[in-house]
Amino acid sequence: MIPATATAAQQKPGMMDRGRAGVSLGRILLRSLKHRRARSLSALAALTVSAMVATALLTLYADLDAKLHHEFRSFGANVIATTPPLTAALLQQIQTAVGPDTLLAPIAYAVAATDRGTPVVVAGVDFAAMRKLDSWWHLETPDAWPTGPTDALLGQRAAGFVANETTVTLTYAGKPLALHGVGKLNTGGDEDSRIYIPMAAFTAWTGVQPGVLEMQVPGGEQRVNAAVAELRRSLPALHLEPVRALVAGESRIVDRTHTLMYGAMLLIALTVAVSVLATLSASVLERRRDFALMKALGASQAQLLGHFLLEALVIAAGGVLLGYILGSGLAWAIGQWNFGTATLPRLSVFPLVLLLNLSIAAAAALFPARVLRRLQPAALLKGE
Amino acid sequence: MKMVSEAQRQHAEAMLERETPVIQLVGVSREYTSRAGVVRALDDASFTIGAGEWVAITGPSGSGKSTLVNLLGCLDTPTSGKLTIDAEEVHAMSSTELDRFRADKIGFIFQQFHLIPYLSALENVMLAQYFHSMTNAADARAALERVGLGPRADHLPSELSGGEQQRVCIARALINDPPILLADEPTGNLDAANQKIVVDILRELHAAGHTIVMVTHDPEMAALAERKIALSHGKVFCHPVQNVVIKLSR
Repeated sequence: MIPATATAAQQKPGMMDRGRAGVSLGRILLRSLKHRRARSLSALAALTVSAMVATALLTLYADLDAKLHHEFRSFGANVIATTPPLTAALLQQIQTAVGPDTLLAPIAYAVAATDRGTPVVVAGVDFAAMRKLDSWWHLETPDAWPTGPTDALLGQRAAGFVANETTVTLTYAGKPLALHGVGKLNTGGDEDSRIYIPMAAFTAWTGVQPGVLEMQVPGGEQRVNAAVAELRRSLPALHLEPVRALVAGESRIVDRTHTLMYGAMLLIALTVAVSVLATLSASVLERRRDFALMKALGASQAQLLGHFLLEALVIAAGGVLLGYILGSGLAWAIGQWNFGTATLPRLSVFPLVLLLNLSIAAAAALFPARVLRRLQPAALLKGE
Repeated sequence: MKMVSEAQRQHAEAMLERETPVIQLVGVSREYTSRAGVVRALDDASFTIGAGEWVAITGPSGSGKSTLVNLLGCLDTPTSGKLTIDAEEVHAMSSTELDRFRADKIGFIFQQFHLIPYLSALENVMLAQYFHSMTNAADARAALERVGLGPRADHLPSELSGGEQQRVCIARALINDPPILLADEPTGNLDAANQKIVVDILRELHAAGHTIVMVTHDPEMAALAERKIALSHGKVFCHPVQNVVIKLSR
């Protein structure tokens, strides 16, 4: 029954083929993962969540500046310029100096009398530009923006100075102007005491040219300061006042949001690491006898550690693939929901997510691997 | 199952007559430090086991059998004394050298079989090849056929009976052709029929010249061996060599 035959140890190495017939590290690993399906899925779920959150946060993070600055544009002008009469040529010069993505809204002011004889500030504006720049303005009837040449927008308080809100007559330097009130503005600020009319009608009526320019420079504090510096250099006649609270506030909020996202990511990574650590520790304890057996069969400590580490890394890599897809979807949904624009997947975050997950898995695997070092194979295999 | 041939019997006797021991312990002790202090699990053990000898290690629980198996299996090193196996000084080896030496020289047969549950019988045998050198399915299959399990090679351990699992364990112990088989209660978990199958296999291995060191509580199993090494409180008591012919003809 037991004839003496040549064994693996006696044959020439060339005659043997590692893994050819089915036992290789990869095969043992996959069988082991499949055998302990619940434990493997638990670790995979934790690492998928980690990768998903990291992908979502990093994708949003990369797009955050653009998104937040876009949001800040709805807060109105961040630089106010008072100028000598603002001609079309000067406006073009300013636009060139600050870049085409800066919104400009020239304004002309005059004090007129209402039909009740009450003085009121009248502002001549380009309603299309104002609507873009001051998108935060609240109109009592939404979208009731003036479109006609004599349409007027009445501030909430200013509306109380006129006899009839729809048929308004203003007088400036003895010249009357009949206007059609189409909407009421309620901002809670100085705007509520003004009556806004089209620039063409205003200039024709008063002869006053615009002398104030509201500007909204995108891109945060540095970009605003650079634009102001450029204007001061190229157009020294302009008097420029950055709206400090807004500019500095924007910068602070962007920085804090960055910090918050980093913190959240680290916290989640730590939580996942603890979860993976618990799962892998349990996995080692469950399989102490398997590892003891491998040790008895001649496996070195490095082979056992390598086996265990590779198992954790395979799960982590699987988690990264799933997590990247889910995280990109999550970032898209958050971008759509919060900012109204889609955040597209970024391949550039993939290596970072991979590195993060592999690090978590390696750290979590190395800790329980200490258990392997203290294995007493004989006692374990004896069932003690 | 084939009977032991005269040639095998003579071979076994010849091995016993060799003066060079395959295992030699000289003043070997193993101490463990615990909160209660130092515990001497094996105390100044000195004995030899000849090549081709079948030795039974007996003793009550706590007598130091596991410690001795640990040392003979190169899973541990002595605190003091000299342990030589197959002319190599094991006591001076590093952990890495012990791993390599163990894969080369020792074949383990366990009471509880310890097969990897998600690998087939064939793959379990190949696992020993994997940690030794390289895998070879044909050799692994041949090893299973030697223990009568050729047709069951692709079955998982859960699909095998206890006796069959123990035979897979024996095939795994044999696959790298180690000079020493270390059997820890090899029939402890088997019914009478399977005990007989395993005993017959051990007899044939012994007849073929394998050195067998067997730990057992069972007096009948111990009686199969040529010699008993009894342990009590960490101390070793060696019994004289018995007549191998009588043992083999049981």
